[in-house]
Amino acid sequence: MIKNHQLFSICVVIPAFNEEKVIGEVINNTRKAFSSTGYSIEIVVVNDLSSDKTADIAQQNGATVINHILNTGAGGATATGLSYAQQNNFDIACTMDADGQHASEDAAEGVKQLLSRKVDLLIGSRLINKEGMSKIKILGNKGLSLITHLLFGINSTDSQSGLRIFSNNAIKSLRWKTSGYEFCSEMLWRAKQAKLNIDEYPIQAIYTDYSKLKGQNNWNSINIIKSLVRQRIAELFE
Amino acid sequence: MRYIILVLLNMPVIALALINILTQYKMHKVSIARFRHQIILWLTIMIILIGSFPLYNHLVDKPIFDSSELSLFDIVQTAAIIFLVYIVNHQRQRLERNEQMARNLHQEISIKLSSYKSK
Repeated sequence: MIKNHQLFSICVVIPAFNEEKVIGEVINNTRKAFSSTGYSIEIVVVNDLSSDKTADIAQQNGATVINHILNTGAGGATATGLSYAQQNNFDIACTMDADGQHASEDAAEGVKQLLSRKVDLLIGSRLINKEGMSKIKILGNKGLSLITHLLFGINSTDSQSGLRIFSNNAIKSLRWKTSGYEFCSEMLWRAKQAKLNIDEYPIQAIYTDYSKLKGQNNWNSINIIKSLVRQRIAELFE
Repeated sequence: MRYIILVLLNMPVIALALINILTQYKMHKVSIARFRHQIILWLTIMIILIGSFPLYNHLVDKPIFDSSELSLFDIVQTAAIIFLVYIVNHQRQRLERNEQMARNLHQEISIKLSSYKSK
């Protein structure tokens, strides 16, 4: 039976680490953006052992809060969020950054696009429309997308985007091993191995002074590449 | 004779590795992709060992490959390296399985504790 779009349950996963300044706004904007769609949504903040009031503020703003016992990194927090979505039988999951870098409207639009395109994993690409991105960020992201292509054979304009929409099939079958930021590329690789349909759609990147401070440093790309190469080589011996 | 010793010294390790991966596959502990990778890895090592003597005979006439035969020390060293590859590979797989279990456990505990607290 084909489900009416309005009946879909969406789990919005927000991995967060020390985001007390913006987490409340991100939650409220997300709820506002999804309210016009009519979907039933639950906002889940995965608090990755923050030392500030991220968890309290998220809870006060009506989000479900999962507190990590250990600090695992963005990949580990995202995996916990998706595991929660699977355990609670959500139809669709959406992950977005907690630093306010993503427009909530783009997340809601992504869900619509996922349903209309009938894909399993939809990546919100900041590089289809590069407006607002600094040249150094563009270079860093393009470099990592190139590495992702060379190592895993995946074509993506923005392999590091945190705004991703997952079908129920993807929620159930996607698992990755890395727990830092490198999980973004590894996830695409695992999706390819699981024969999931992957697609992209354009999103805007909102770079405030705060998100610039919190976002990935280009130097971290070296750690990401090292970890991805290690994963690729390890796979040969598995 | 020395090349036969090289093969005989290493065959038990390679056989053990092949039996291990076959057992794990038959018990559904590893995927078909992992099974294939491991079989290819160990068969490649076996072929290189078996083919080392004919390959040496073939290459020794060429100027840049003109070298003396393996010494007994070389044979023992090669056998030790292959044994270490086996051990490292085995330990890495165990470590990875344990890491996966620890990650899953952490996820489960975090979710369960958070839902318990919110009730």
